[in-house]
Amino acid sequence: MKEIVVAGGKGGVGKTTVAASLAVLLNRWGLGVFTADADVDAPDLSLTLGGGKTVFSMEVAASRKAEVDSKKCIGCGGCLQVCPFGAMTKTNDGKAAAVALMCEGCGVCKLVCPAGAIEVKNTPTGTITVEETKYGFMCATGKLRLGEHNSGHLVAMIRNLARRKAQDTGSKVIVIDAAPGIGCPVIASIAGANYVIAVTEPTPAAKRNLERLSRVVRHFGVPAGVVINMSGCSGDLETALKKWVKHELGFQVLGEIPVDYEVVKALAHMTPVVDFNPDAEASKSLMSIAERVREML
Amino acid sequence: MKAKSCPPVIAVTGGKGGTGKSTVAVNLAAGLSTSGLKVMLVDADVDGPSCASLLGLKLEAGKEVKTFLPVIDEKKCVGCRKCVEVCPEHALIGLQGEVPRLFEELCSGCRACQIVCGHFAVREGGKTIGIIYTKSADGIMLVAGELTPTEPRSPVVARATVLHAMSELQNGGYDLAIIDTAPGVHNTVAQPLWVSDYALAVTEPTPLGVHDLGFILDLTEELELPVGIVLNKADIPGGLKNELLKTAHERGVSVVAEIPLDREVLHSYIAGIPVVKNAPDSPAGRSLRYLVSLVGKMMEEGKI
Repeated sequence: MKEIVVAGGKGGVGKTTVAASLAVLLNRWGLGVFTADADVDAPDLSLTLGGGKTVFSMEVAASRKAEVDSKKCIGCGGCLQVCPFGAMTKTNDGKAAAVALMCEGCGVCKLVCPAGAIEVKNTPTGTITVEETKYGFMCATGKLRLGEHNSGHLVAMIRNLARRKAQDTGSKVIVIDAAPGIGCPVIASIAGANYVIAVTEPTPAAKRNLERLSRVVRHFGVPAGVVINMSGCSGDLETALKKWVKHELGFQVLGEIPVDYEVVKALAHMTPVVDFNPDAEASKSLMSIAERVREML
Repeated sequence: MKAKSCPPVIAVTGGKGGTGKSTVAVNLAAGLSTSGLKVMLVDADVDGPSCASLLGLKLEAGKEVKTFLPVIDEKKCVGCRKCVEVCPEHALIGLQGEVPRLFEELCSGCRACQIVCGHFAVREGGKTIGIIYTKSADGIMLVAGELTPTEPRSPVVARATVLHAMSELQNGGYDLAIIDTAPGVHNTVAQPLWVSDYALAVTEPTPLGVHDLGFILDLTEELELPVGIVLNKADIPGGLKNELLKTAHERGVSVVAEIPLDREVLHSYIAGIPVVKNAPDSPAGRSLRYLVSLVGKMMEEGKI
């Protein structure tokens, strides 16, 4: 079983668009696809695939949060001094209070509290679910609770769940749609995967973030290829970008997807563009990209 | 984190990635600066910073964001395992009577080990996980936090960036700060919102834009933060503008500005010049200038 991660560094470059169309095509070609949405902040993959029917759901309570018993608190301020996350504040009556949004649950406050006023409790992190898409294949996804910080943990659980269920269903490929950025949830998506498709666009900001992503990809020793989305909008910049990807990053360019409003229309119809309009220019590019991925598999 | 006397702080956020948060933040900063205000622009998208690229700036020297890492003094350690037991991330392992080993990538830098060690055997060590750059250009002071690639702890770098910016803001010399947040609704986004007085949620009229807008409005509601929606790419072909307006209405949040789809946004983006300066009379330039005047007016009236 192979895990292909669609990442990008910058947000909104087209990761989900590429992941959805790739999954539909590989599945159509009989490869046995399972999908995983690792953007637990804004899980949009199953929506892009037409919305799914939930077949499995589980609450995850892996977070820890400090709680101050104001009756016991003597207002010494010791916890405010040591909290590494700035999560402790003083209330109007001089007592300490933990701001749940900031607290990472390390428990240092509890260690220094002379009054035994602080407890560290397990709290909900989010949910993980498996949805059945209208294409027949499954999508493992999750939703992080608002303001939570344990997204890497949730992503690792989604990946494990996807691997297990993919094995059960005899799937050969797991297509993982990663979160924007290069932090904890992206590292949790990339580490140990078989291939990374880095989606970018020919703009200075996207290029800079692709460079940052490439350092994470190389650090984990995962082979990668680049897809240039919104191709044809910036002339010289794009030619330079392609050269730079090949020579500086040492990644191959898997293909370029032109600016095409059929992609937006397809999105509005919650259908991957390769299914919505196979003759669209963007669909043709996506088909040739998927073909290259199939060859590699 | 923020004193009451501090100048106003406006967060530019939005849930989904690539909706135009940085474009709005940079243009707001450039427009308000042109109108005579002293503006601090904070890039708190430490995973995927882009304000500097949008302003055509090269970032040079910065302040390192360091986290604590324990260094165990073998001469002082008695192998009592207190640090091993207390470590919430299980980053220290070792048997009774042994000097514990550190798994650096697991350590959150919380110092629990140092606090419990009764033998002063946990010495101060540290590692750099990000950099906070500052650069002044065209009347804007840019404070940009960047996570070091391969480091996972974005919230720590975002928090350090916001804290640094807030302390600079309190030192005086600025009329306001604009914070560009990361996409999403996790901790890295919540921290900048926590210090803000007003948020602009930038979204686009697609199913994903509508879907993710709901999440960011949940977060601003939980933080009791006043919010206005900026509808970007408002007239995108096949877009769901009406659906988005309905969602906004249901949530009781108003759409304060609409920015039409305009090639000038992309041209300015690539040129590294804000649209309000590069193409002020283009359709998007006019919308962004309207947003600038709206925010300026809200500040004058004390609404922000």
